[in-house]
Amino acid sequence: MANRGANRTRLLWVSLLVTSLFLITLDLRGINLINSIRTGSQSFLAPIQRVGSNVLSPFSNLFTDLSNFGRTNSKIDSLKTENEELKSQLIFNKNVLGELEQLKGVLDLAGQARFKVVAARVISKGGTGTFSETLVLDAGSDAGIKRDMTVIASAGLVGVVKSTTKSSAVVLLMSDPSFRIGVRIAGTQDMGILSGEGEGKFSLRMLSATGQLKPGDVLLSRGSSGDKPFVPGVPVGKVITIDNSTGQLTKQGRVMGFVDLNALGVVSVVVDSMGRNPGDALVPKAPAPAPTVTVFVTPKPSPTE
Amino acid sequence: MTFNRVPAIFATFLLLFLLQESLLNKIDFFIGGFSLYLAFFMAWIMQDERNSAVATGFIAGFIADLSPTLEAPFGLWTFILTAMSYVMATNVRAALDAELSPVVMSAVTVIGSSIALFSFVICGAILGQEVGSTSYVIQEIFGNALWTLLLSPLYVPIAIGVYRATLTARNR
Repeated sequence: MANRGANRTRLLWVSLLVTSLFLITLDLRGINLINSIRTGSQSFLAPIQRVGSNVLSPFSNLFTDLSNFGRTNSKIDSLKTENEELKSQLIFNKNVLGELEQLKGVLDLAGQARFKVVAARVISKGGTGTFSETLVLDAGSDAGIKRDMTVIASAGLVGVVKSTTKSSAVVLLMSDPSFRIGVRIAGTQDMGILSGEGEGKFSLRMLSATGQLKPGDVLLSRGSSGDKPFVPGVPVGKVITIDNSTGQLTKQGRVMGFVDLNALGVVSVVVDSMGRNPGDALVPKAPAPAPTVTVFVTPKPSPTE
Repeated sequence: MTFNRVPAIFATFLLLFLLQESLLNKIDFFIGGFSLYLAFFMAWIMQDERNSAVATGFIAGFIADLSPTLEAPFGLWTFILTAMSYVMATNVRAALDAELSPVVMSAVTVIGSSIALFSFVICGAILGQEVGSTSYVIQEIFGNALWTLLLSPLYVPIAIGVYRATLTARNR
């Protein structure tokens, strides 16, 4: 009797496994029905994610804030003097101000390049179970956003639009392991390929054996045909180390992205580059050194003399 | 397994999926991330009888595959969770005591979630998905295991309670 029960379980298990393999096969063959299911789920999820984003925005960086606790002690001390009502008000204002600051920065960057952009709020991120680095935006095809459009933040490149619905868009972040972008070094114009490696890490491989690379080099997007998926001239990152191991045909290095991909509240999608290539105009400027104060003292004769 | 339970199982995992996608994914866990969905699934499966566990694995996997941010082929989570549910409900469950202590429940949940994520990466890589460097994968799985363990006192009792609430009179 028990054996019959076990056989029945095994039969059910095998049937369901075969069904799941069938689903995988359909997806890999690009059947529209499967793509529609995910697009449908994105349309369904977007409004819920928007509500979730509003509810959670003051707390979303809780763990990052806790890990930086030591560095923000002085700030916490000053906040202690305020009462609970003011604190919650401050958190709310801080969140809005942060978003405004990011929006101003990204519009500055887009304005400098004269790109036509659509601003959007980040309402969700890809989870652990997906093993992909993605964001969900609260604007979609109704706002003019299409697949393969460049997404930027105030400091530079964020990623590329992967899919859209009427009111939301999924962005593949530049740190995703499947992300590749053609870059050039500001100044020398040597070209290379930048690859995402997850968790904000990037690697760079130069295309030419004669291409020179040194720490501190600024990388800009090279641009794609028809500006899809990448518009030219967007700051991507800075070279931090060079891999000097022998036996390599071309130079390789590690890169630090300009944008903190974990702290994005507002981004912009470049809907039209207006046919312009900003060249090296968007290279982030080094901070200007503080002016040295010079004090001239004229000695006065003492009254005793 | 009675078919009466299917709507309750579906509703429970759909609700969890919405919670995961709209709230938990927004939180920056400073090491890796936390999948409440997987942890809850493992805690659920440990209490289920074999037939029901396999069907639950299929339903939970199908819902997980709906995630719009997923790069992997549709059906991969369905495959992994269906396979895992059978192994957990037969081999693992049979090796444990009839009454599960909270410590055993937490340990099995942590190990089960980690194996599920690892299998997902391996199968994804076989199917041509880019999964990133080994250190990245290890960090993600380790981070998830850590949070699954730390938060187990919160979700394990809820999983037990919700599971019991979905049982029909005949199941009880």
